[in-house]
Amino acid sequence: MTAESKKGIRILQIAKAVLFAFMGIRKKSDLEQDAATLKPTELIIGGIVGAIIFVVSIILVVRMVVS
Amino acid sequence: MAAVHGDAHGHGHDDHHPSGIMRWITTTNHKDIGTMYLWFSFAMFLTGGTLALGIRAELFQPGIQILQPELFNQFTTLHGLIMVFGAIMPAFVGFANWQVPLMIGAPDMAFARMNNWSFWLLPVAATLLVSSFFVPGGAAAGGWTFYPPLSTQGGLGVDLMIFSVHILGASSIMGSINIITTILNMRAPGMTLMKMPMFVWTWLITAYLLVLVMPVLAGVVTMLLTDRHFGTSFFNAAGGGDPVMFQHIFWFFGHPEVYIMILPSFGIVSEVIPTFSRKPLFGYSSMVYATASIAILSCVVWAHHMFTAGMPTVGQLFFMYATMLIAVPTGVKVFNWTATMWQGSMSFETPMLFSIGFIFLFVIGGFSGVICAIVPIDIQVQDTYYVIAHFHYVLVSGSLFALFAGAYYWIPKWTGRMYNETLGKWHFWLSMFFFNLTFFVQHFLGLAGMPRRIPDYNLQFADFNMVSSIGAFGFGLTQLLFLYVMINCIRSGEKAAQMPWDGATTLEWTHLPTPAPYHSFEKPPVVK
Repeated sequence: MTAESKKGIRILQIAKAVLFAFMGIRKKSDLEQDAATLKPTELIIGGIVGAIIFVVSIILVVRMVVS
Repeated sequence: MAAVHGDAHGHGHDDHHPSGIMRWITTTNHKDIGTMYLWFSFAMFLTGGTLALGIRAELFQPGIQILQPELFNQFTTLHGLIMVFGAIMPAFVGFANWQVPLMIGAPDMAFARMNNWSFWLLPVAATLLVSSFFVPGGAAAGGWTFYPPLSTQGGLGVDLMIFSVHILGASSIMGSINIITTILNMRAPGMTLMKMPMFVWTWLITAYLLVLVMPVLAGVVTMLLTDRHFGTSFFNAAGGGDPVMFQHIFWFFGHPEVYIMILPSFGIVSEVIPTFSRKPLFGYSSMVYATASIAILSCVVWAHHMFTAGMPTVGQLFFMYATMLIAVPTGVKVFNWTATMWQGSMSFETPMLFSIGFIFLFVIGGFSGVICAIVPIDIQVQDTYYVIAHFHYVLVSGSLFALFAGAYYWIPKWTGRMYNETLGKWHFWLSMFFFNLTFFVQHFLGLAGMPRRIPDYNLQFADFNMVSSIGAFGFGLTQLLFLYVMINCIRSGEKAAQMPWDGATTLEWTHLPTPAPYHSFEKPPVVK
């Protein structure tokens, strides 16, 4: 596996962890894998990016509703 | 302080400490400070409760009988401020002081002297707040949210309130920094973040929220102060300012504040329910994630408090959708507590009763919250008793019931004595009955259009108000029973068993004697 694709998989894993966190659910096995591989800083940055995406997507939905 | 350290390290006497008043003034011990926080908050709870009874006495019948409108408004304002900043918040910090070091296997809080300072600021702030009743013009009377222009026009009482809020904010920020540092740096070997008890997790996240929003509150009250005395016009339209900006800044603090008051309750309930169900907490990691996401979402929903203040439709819809989405992680928590109880070997001691009461009534408060989040409905119920009913379901049967659950749950560990179970159960059932008598009818009053913060009302509201007032006095008196149960337990309660709750699994129960010694975990336990 190339370094770039490894990085891609890692970002995907962070995104998945953050997405599940927003819903408030996570399988135990996935969580253990997250805890073993992901760093807290990555998750915090992921969380902030997630919050921004969350806000932007609601704005988009609202614009769609009122247009 | 030197004496405490000297004894702890020099002689190794577990229970040795200075005696008399100096023990309490100079203490750096997390247990002493926790105890002071809890007694302080209970005293403020009784003070705020007395104000509430004044309000309900006036509202017992239509017409003005007891409180003149000016004084009535001071009562509603100070009731809110005292309960939020003086009772509920310090009570949770008291629990954090007692329990966080015990639950993570730390010997004390990270900044022991700052801990003392955080506490001793509180009586000063409380004195400022309560004494404002006796200054010319009386206490602040513009509501606990102190919106301008009322708060820029009020008298000296408003200034005292502003200083009091400043001091309380400083205390909260120091307390939070202490809690964050303790949790991140002083956990026992082997206790990874994802092994921490849920109560510790909820407090860690709450502490971050506090550090985020308390400076905002300090900022907004400072702007108010400069508007009042130094010629600025932040919130004065005549000078080019905007009173609505105050509401935005205030609620950017105020909505996370709601979660600051509820997340530690979630933590307490998440400890009590597994113990009395004799099962581990269902979906622990989901609970951690749900708490984190509630904290993040709480920062992007503030303007749902201001739907009638003037806002474009796009803004209303944004805050409506975002608010409703918070119900998702909150719902996850309720399902997890229920699933924890499912097929558990349950018993119903007082802490468990209060926790189940919490779930039942908090869900009602949560649902009425979702109802208020819907813009067209909110425009109808804004500033009515429906909103009063909603947030008392969240803060009284939510936060307060969880505090009672925690107090009954941990009092054997704190004192080495058991409370009277029969009286504890009476306390629960009477609280449950009178709470609902007081607040459930307020939903009807609100839907019928009765506005909040008024000393008089139309005749059609008379019956429900009478019911609500009777409930309030019953609820208030019931809390004296709680005081009696606690004093009785501390002074002459039966000796508690080493492990009074057989389902408890956290470190304070499994690794420490009952009562917890004055200095605990001098050698950290190893968590596997």
